[in-house]
Amino acid sequence: MSSSSSLGGHSKSLRLAGEDIWKNKTEKVNGELFTLMYGSIVSQLCRDYQRCFPKVNDQLYTMGYNIGVRLIEDFLARTALPRCENMIRTSEVISKCAFKIFLNITPQVSNWSTDKNAFSLVLVENPLSDFVELPMDAMKQLWYSNVLCGVLKGALEMVQLDCDVWFISDVLKGDPQTEIRVKLNRVLKDEIPIGED
Amino acid sequence: MAIYSFWIFDKHCNCIFNREWTLVANSSSGTINSKQNEETAKLLYGMIFSLRSIALKLSKDSTGNDIRSISTGKYRIHTYCTASGLWFVLTTDFKQQSYSQVLQYIYSHIYVKYITHNLLSAFDLAEDESETRGQGTKKIANRNFITALESFLTPMVAQ
Repeated sequence: MSSSSSLGGHSKSLRLAGEDIWKNKTEKVNGELFTLMYGSIVSQLCRDYQRCFPKVNDQLYTMGYNIGVRLIEDFLARTALPRCENMIRTSEVISKCAFKIFLNITPQVSNWSTDKNAFSLVLVENPLSDFVELPMDAMKQLWYSNVLCGVLKGALEMVQLDCDVWFISDVLKGDPQTEIRVKLNRVLKDEIPIGED
Repeated sequence: MAIYSFWIFDKHCNCIFNREWTLVANSSSGTINSKQNEETAKLLYGMIFSLRSIALKLSKDSTGNDIRSISTGKYRIHTYCTASGLWFVLTTDFKQQSYSQVLQYIYSHIYVKYITHNLLSAFDLAEDESETRGQGTKKIANRNFITALESFLTPMVAQ
């Protein structure tokens, strides 16, 4: 059982906490099985939507959202982290803890907007797209790992952060790097019982 | 240490689970999700809600300052609040200082396992506006959850 105090400190302790939870408290599954399972979902969706890739993107995003709203509870139960006070902290928790625990990767955080409300996650490796080569027609429109955007959107919404999450580039499309953009729209207000305001 | 009752509140200010033990001698006595506890739930929520906002105002820096326990003359209330807005509340006697590990265990090994990971049950009990802001009355009725919770808490009821 991890105590919240051990995660209270700085970015370094976040990294250590993420590594500790990954190493000692997470059951491991075969990564290739995971990659292939995701691949079969995407290919099935492409077939179902008759290669209308914008629809496939939307469907992957929705599926991700539904995963994210549940995954956040799992994440909070493992880490016992409190709410983040700003987006800088949020970005560190996402890259050093969340991605580490669930996918064993640590994306780089970069391209901060001047108001510190939007940042990019650069995925040097992406376990979802191992072994994948997009066919020509999919190259233009399909965001293969779009499920990740949905997961981030759903999970952040559950901790009262209303964000937009989308892909900017993907190595599968011939871009130099895979980049996800996260932009905070607003911090949602906690509900209060009726009659209290 | 003896425990008297256990409550879960969601982020819509609704009580989504309550369990009260009435006879110390019989740990299976008492009520689960009783309608009669609605009022008590609202009062309990209000007390924790107010004290939380006071604690937040009194803290020196912006990083959260959460209520962990509240003691009255007759019993002690322990709370565990998650970043997603769930509150786990336990009322006990005075024999044990902290139940935070117990509450954290209930969250991570019982709630997440049987409620969150149960994809067929809704992740949010409030379906529309009329069930938010403390007006909802839906309760967790998941059998696996209740069984696991009972077997975990029963040994603590009459110690």
